[in-house]
Amino acid sequence: MRRLRAWFVRLGGLFKKERSDRAFAAEMDSHLQMHIDDNLRSGMTADEARRHALIKLGGITQTKEIYGERRGIPAVETLLQDLRFAVRMLLKNPGFTVVAVLILALGIGANTAMFSVVRAVLLKPLAYSNPDRIVTLASFWKANSGKGQVSAPDYHDWHDQSSAFEEMAYYGAWDTAVTAGTATGATAEYAHAAQIGPEFFRVFGVTPFVGREFSAEEAKRGGPGAALISYAYAARHFGDEANALGKRVQMAGKTLDIVGAMPAGFRFPENTDIWYPTNTIVPDTESRSAHNYRVIARLRDGVRLEQAQAQMAAIGARLEEKYPDSNKGKSVAVTQLRDEMVNEFRLTLYVMLVAVGVVLLIACANLANMLLAKAVARTREMAIRTAVGAGRGRIVRQLVTESILLALIAGAAGLALAFWGCRTLVALAPGDVPRLAEAGIDGDVLLFTLGISMVASLLFGLAPALQVLRVDLNSALKQSVQRTGVGSMADRMRQALVVAEIALSVILVAGAGLLIKSFVALQNVELGFRSERVLVVGTSVPASDLESARRATRFYKQLLAEVRAFPGVLDAGATMEPPGHTASDGSYWIDQLPTALNVSAPHAVFSVVSPGTFATLGIPQQQGRDFNDGDTYDAPFTAVINEALARQAFPNQDPIGHSIFCGLDSMNGMKIVGIVGNVRQEGPAKEPSPEIYMPYEQHPQPAIALSILVRTSMPPGTISPAVRDKIHALSVDVPVKFTTMEALNSEGVAAPRFRTLLLGIFAALAVGLALAGVYGVMSYVVGQRSNEIGLRMALGASQSDVLRLVLRQTLLLAGAGIVIGLAGAAAVTQFLTSILFGVKATDPAIYAAVVALLVLTALGASYVPARRAMRVDPMVALRYE
Amino acid sequence: MAEKTDVWQGTLALMVLKTLETLGPLHGYGIARRIEQTSGDLLSVNYGTLYPALLKLEQEGYIDSEWGQSDNHRKAKYYRLTRAGRKQLAKEAQEWDQATAILARFLTPSEDRS
Repeated sequence: MRRLRAWFVRLGGLFKKERSDRAFAAEMDSHLQMHIDDNLRSGMTADEARRHALIKLGGITQTKEIYGERRGIPAVETLLQDLRFAVRMLLKNPGFTVVAVLILALGIGANTAMFSVVRAVLLKPLAYSNPDRIVTLASFWKANSGKGQVSAPDYHDWHDQSSAFEEMAYYGAWDTAVTAGTATGATAEYAHAAQIGPEFFRVFGVTPFVGREFSAEEAKRGGPGAALISYAYAARHFGDEANALGKRVQMAGKTLDIVGAMPAGFRFPENTDIWYPTNTIVPDTESRSAHNYRVIARLRDGVRLEQAQAQMAAIGARLEEKYPDSNKGKSVAVTQLRDEMVNEFRLTLYVMLVAVGVVLLIACANLANMLLAKAVARTREMAIRTAVGAGRGRIVRQLVTESILLALIAGAAGLALAFWGCRTLVALAPGDVPRLAEAGIDGDVLLFTLGISMVASLLFGLAPALQVLRVDLNSALKQSVQRTGVGSMADRMRQALVVAEIALSVILVAGAGLLIKSFVALQNVELGFRSERVLVVGTSVPASDLESARRATRFYKQLLAEVRAFPGVLDAGATMEPPGHTASDGSYWIDQLPTALNVSAPHAVFSVVSPGTFATLGIPQQQGRDFNDGDTYDAPFTAVINEALARQAFPNQDPIGHSIFCGLDSMNGMKIVGIVGNVRQEGPAKEPSPEIYMPYEQHPQPAIALSILVRTSMPPGTISPAVRDKIHALSVDVPVKFTTMEALNSEGVAAPRFRTLLLGIFAALAVGLALAGVYGVMSYVVGQRSNEIGLRMALGASQSDVLRLVLRQTLLLAGAGIVIGLAGAAAVTQFLTSILFGVKATDPAIYAAVVALLVLTALGASYVPARRAMRVDPMVALRYE
Repeated sequence: MAEKTDVWQGTLALMVLKTLETLGPLHGYGIARRIEQTSGDLLSVNYGTLYPALLKLEQEGYIDSEWGQSDNHRKAKYYRLTRAGRKQLAKEAQEWDQATAILARFLTPSEDRS
């Protein structure tokens, strides 16, 4: 404690230095006088008395020195002195300082912004209690190592037979038509509603913020059900959560009491607004082949993920044996919830983080070069300071202080950039990146910024510091800078730095080139349908049984007829899911059903559409006919297949007239009446799959929620108000949401667009910095060699000889950088393979383009220095010599 | 005349505190002279090292200082023991006693050893 107190006093001592200097002098003075008085009293002469006193006191200056050191903190004093000097140096060269800070701030800012995104999405623990104990369980298909949803009976077996989990719950969530309250005339809206198993909330360790959970009576099989709502939904529809208690919501043709509201942060899964118990208002599907649910669980304390996985695999194997028809080849995959959520974005984000780190490295190399030039120019200053007694360590410390100060200023500026950059990143990123909204600047991000600023200062401060350590005092004092050995040593270092910059740029540009080529390939894929001027209207009709489902069909029939009659409407249709996603898929059989349904039968995508859908989307009718008004529920069942299915199931045969079976909602045989062209159902990156189209009137239950497709002669958005009015005129219970086919397509490639754009920006930054680096070095080289150049010209060298001289040196640097960079790129771009489409990581065209770009950049950067070299006046150079 | 020894490292502070306890408030010169006299002129205090030691004690809060008048009307800085200083003195004196006692046992020839 006493020590601490002393430190504080000493810290204070840093500030009132002059006053205490005077006080000490006075104290010494009084000491001397008293000693002299004593000496006089003992009989010495005045001179003797004074001499003795002085000798006894010892060297006053030395005492003062020791006293001074004890009074303040010497290290801090030196630091303050260094800082003052550093500030003066930076202010003396405002141009240099501004450029250096800008370059570095760009690097630090980009890194900070990227880090804040990576942290929010990948690193921050989920906001549930013990989030790393929460896992997802999924069906694992051994044939293609794919994970998928879970059937209700499978879930119940998993739940009852496993012991590795404290809680396990199945759930499903959809955008559903919901009417808040029971007022007559209230319109339904889309809300994300989740049906949840009994242990669902316990998995997350959450309880309702107000109200209570479902009672056993409400949650029992076939029970009346009840609703818990999100904090946001309560605020939007009922004013506040307390006010919502006892109110009701209508969905799926039922009315549910609101028994509670969840806390504000809890929206799982996705952005859920309403939770209700499974197997109450919507009965569970009872087939082991109907994979309609997702499963979430909390690991029991002390159970590791691998142990849980092993136990579930054993259970999966037992089920395979017991139910071969439905479970053959199906196992269980246990995954951490967070890994599951961010899975597809992990690689993209890490690639971006590395890329942005490389940009910072290049920025540091650039800065190191600038500081090196300054250090060389200051060689004499350093030499003089050494000569008058400054230790090398002291001088290096001075340089390091300057670097750190520069890095800290740049870090502060970078932080401002990151604020803006972070918002831009969030805006550019695909909409479905989980937790992206949480990205922002907070304590951890600040620490990160401080950290990389310090690392950066070390990286670029090292070069000039090393340089100083090698200065030979004598030669530096005697000679001018240009001719010292120091100059050439620093030259080599500068050139190495530029080579490194070029090499790193090559890697970034190669990566960006591959992504751009891949993105262009993605854009040029023939999707199989026309998306221009197609309005997509999401609708959902509340229905719970066949009767109400058939009412929904009649609603759609009338709606389509009326929309087709709108002015400006060219065509209209309806489908369960517009191209880009699939609603359902499964096995199919031709001509007759086998006695035992084998799941190993070929798979197809199932689609339910209205007549006119193919024409609306411009999907070519290749054979047979489209559906028509004759394909009603009571008529013989019909189907249209796509080209892929025709090729797969009917090689060298005419499929028309054959029947086809699939388990969408019934096992009725359907007569194939037509063949249409392939559509890329899962977006441009995936080959088209076989597909069975079925008419909506014959499959009323899957067809209660359809997307209406409207092809218009004007911009599709202009017609949406009329469509909304028409739908609400027909039924207030049907919610609507609008988008366009083009917007959906663009959403489908949002992730590749995001990473292409970002890597493109980083590569451009890298090339820009490399350009500056080459320019700096070549200008310096030309300046340094101007005497030599002048001499050569005086001896008869032509301007083109001089040009060649400069260009050769540039190309030497660029060539070295490019070779190293290509080797690096070949190694690094391997990691991109899984996100590339239609282009290999070793695409020669890309690498050729990269080489060309970098060579041109280097030549461009040396243009101005080369011009300067050509204009060297031989006479001036000679006279100078 | 016996050769004078320099004050041992670490003991100066203790001597200063003891001197102030015995004599009450005193200036630096007085403290130095008193230490020399007490040691029977066997110790020589380097006056220069005394002042940093005084500063350290003051920073640690064991002593206070105040400008005042000396006996022959000279302006001088007087040092005074604080309450914490008194406690510290007692503690250090006891430790010192203990240390010397232990050392003495080592140095006096023991009877049970042959």
